Amino acid sequence: MTRQPALTEIAAQVDQLHRIAQELYDRSEDFPALNRNLKRILASIHMLRINLEEDAD
Amino acid sequence: MTLHQGRGADTARQKLSPHSRRISKKPMNKSIPYWNPFLETLPRERLERLQLRKFRRIVRWAYEHSRFHRALYEKAGVEPDEIKSLEQVRLVPKVEKSMLRPIQSKDPFPYGDALCVPLDEVTEFHQTSGTTGQPVYQPDTWQDWEWFSECWATLLWAQGYRPHDRVFLPFGYNVFVAFWTGHYASEKIGCETVPGGVLDTQARILKMQELRATAMMATPTYVLGMADAAQRKLGIDPAKDLFVRRITCAGEPGALIPSTKERMEKLWGAKVFDHAGATEIGAWGFECEAQPGGMHVNEAMFLAEVEDPETGDLITEPNKSGKLVISALDRLAQPCIRFDSKDIVQMSPDQCPCGRTYKVFKGGVIGRADDITKVKGVLLAPSAIEDVVRSFPGLSHEYEVVVEKRGDMDHITLKVELAEGSGQDASSITEKLKTELRFKTNLGYEIQTHPYGSLPRYEVKAKRFKDLRKRGDA
Ligand SMILES: [Zn+2]
Repeated sequence: MTRQPALTEIAAQVDQLHRIAQELYDRSEDFPALNRNLKRILASIHMLRINLEEDAD
Repeated sequence: MTLHQGRGADTARQKLSPHSRRISKKPMNKSIPYWNPFLETLPRERLERLQLRKFRRIVRWAYEHSRFHRALYEKAGVEPDEIKSLEQVRLVPKVEKSMLRPIQSKDPFPYGDALCVPLDEVTEFHQTSGTTGQPVYQPDTWQDWEWFSECWATLLWAQGYRPHDRVFLPFGYNVFVAFWTGHYASEKIGCETVPGGVLDTQARILKMQELRATAMMATPTYVLGMADAAQRKLGIDPAKDLFVRRITCAGEPGALIPSTKERMEKLWGAKVFDHAGATEIGAWGFECEAQPGGMHVNEAMFLAEVEDPETGDLITEPNKSGKLVISALDRLAQPCIRFDSKDIVQMSPDQCPCGRTYKVFKGGVIGRADDITKVKGVLLAPSAIEDVVRSFPGLSHEYEVVVEKRGDMDHITLKVELAEGSGQDASSITEKLKTELRFKTNLGYEIQTHPYGSLPRYEVKAKRFKDLRKRGDA
């Protein structure tokens, strides 16, 4: 494990964020305004993951 | 159960009311020099491990989701999991632009079978300019678009863009990808972003003055053209009367051709930075604020290989130019894996003083494999001619090079323009120009001097190099 502890913690919180956004997205099929905004949020969260990605996790 | 029904919906609505919004008491630290302090300073060894991991992942993604890629890899006998080192990346076949065109006649319309996502997932359409043939269509999902603008945000931040900047984009956005992601990235950083689309050059200059725009993005040709128009048509001196202090160039070489950069910086009183990217690849390279005479590769997002254009051998040593083969490591809808960019680059032996661990290509993109041509048996890069022409203050920004056969011999004509009101003697400039060009390019030229304003002007990208020995270049 090579990553700084703070980044590991942030990455774990991003994973939580992703889990919540994904759950909401999966339940939003009848609510376009939520569905499409959640889709964007998921893309932003994925970008957070790319920004924190390391080789060893 | 859907979200808007059932128990607790009222409470949820109250919690979502705009009055509950908070603004962080801790403002972002604008003095951090890196957009991503973690990735941009990752030690080399870890950076390469990350690249390998991402490369394997994107190859597997393409193999599993695109018929085109699967067929390509199966034919070459490559399994994504076989790639165990960065050296083995070269087992994966390269893709050229010419291979992408026939794909587009296949389903699904209009992209064909390199598409890796359902059509419903595609939110962005762009296409290549088609200057070398039928345009290639580029689909992107919103995820890809986030990624593309993130690459641009990395470069704008590295060039000193901050939320207090007012960024003007003097460009008519359209089906080409140019500056769209620059616009989104500027917003992402938090800059006030002004679309200067359907205005003419003078109106753009006046709007920039009115709004006190602090930064802009344009092609080098247009940066010079705007300064010219400001001075001659509006009596505005961009360096004194406007507020632009940083300019990001794209679309053409120029910002890393020393004499062109110097001209632009002097005319605008601004720092001018280069960037490199392409529709099919993404924004892969950028000059940082340290201006090291070259461009960083965003190596957390791209894997760049340099190969000998003749033998195809990998070039690992600095100061040796070769062709860039590049992979975008996180772009999903239509992956870019080992794409033959035709850009000629050269690795710098030096570490950049900015502290980024990303490698630097000296001089940025120093030419195109299609443009670098043999004349009288000597390799000639048009950028070398531009550097000489623009180092002569007595000449205008415009020039044109024509290479043709006269009998059995190659002949180069260089048309230049005297600067407005320079009062210089054409014959003395001609002689000095011939000597300098001979010294810099090892070739002899017929020089034609023209009065100011007589050579063609270009709005965006210029076509100043004409090789009449090739069909279709007349
Ligand atoms: Zn640097």
